Amino acid sequence: MAGTIIGHGITIEGEITSDDEVVVAGTVRGKLIVEGPVTIEAGAVIEADVGAASLSVAGHVTGNVAASDRVDILAGGRLVGDVKASRLTIADGASFKGNVDMDV
Amino acid sequence: MLRGSAAARSTPSVTSGPGEAGESTLGRGARVRGRISGDGDLRVEGHVEGDVRVSGQLALEEGASIAGDVEASAVVISGSLTGDVVSRGAVTVRATANVNGDLGGAEVSLEEGASFHGRIEAEFDMPVELSTAPAPEPVRPETRGGRGR
Repeated sequence: MAGTIIGHGITIEGEITSDDEVVVAGTVRGKLIVEGPVTIEAGAVIEADVGAASLSVAGHVTGNVAASDRVDILAGGRLVGDVKASRLTIADGASFKGNVDMDV
Repeated sequence: MLRGSAAARSTPSVTSGPGEAGESTLGRGARVRGRISGDGDLRVEGHVEGDVRVSGQLALEEGASIAGDVEASAVVISGSLTGDVVSRGAVTVRATANVNGDLGGAEVSLEEGASFHGRIEAEFDMPVELSTAPAPEPVRPETRGGRGR
């Protein structure tokens, strides 16, 4: 089962760390550090720096993002902040503003 | 029951997947330093340092901990809690729990084996045989009749 699910309607202000998967459908302000995949669902709002193994964005993220594997911004997703990841996809219909560092 | 007018175009269902204002889980490996608030139920299997305030039920599982005050419509504690509890409904402290703080709720239950340090504030009606306080008669005539009702 998924490790952590932050449901729609729930707001967390502060620092979240996890060594397992995190799915966010609610609101997170602060910092999110996960040793696993992070999924930002449509409707979710993240105002935080995110560190994760992989990150999938269908909601809104404001903050710098670092992923050891990959970052995927899906259609309808929105990311404002710098991305550090070796692989990055930005789907048609996604919005993105920031710098990309692919560690080349 | 339809009324014969322009058919109410039902709004497209916005709810999607697991993110519905239903249940949230803070997994075993998760740790939150900060405040958690909002609508829906919350199950804590990890560790929280900060206040928790949800509109639904809060479950603190065995092995999990919260250091902070807690407010929910119902609270079930099986883990470790350091902080006060305010519940609009029941507060249940399971046998595996370790609670340091005050418990307030419509009803509070402690299972045998639970460790608890604090006060319990539960609103309830005294049984009739207790509510007619055995007060010494002549002291204060105006206290006759006890609490209302």
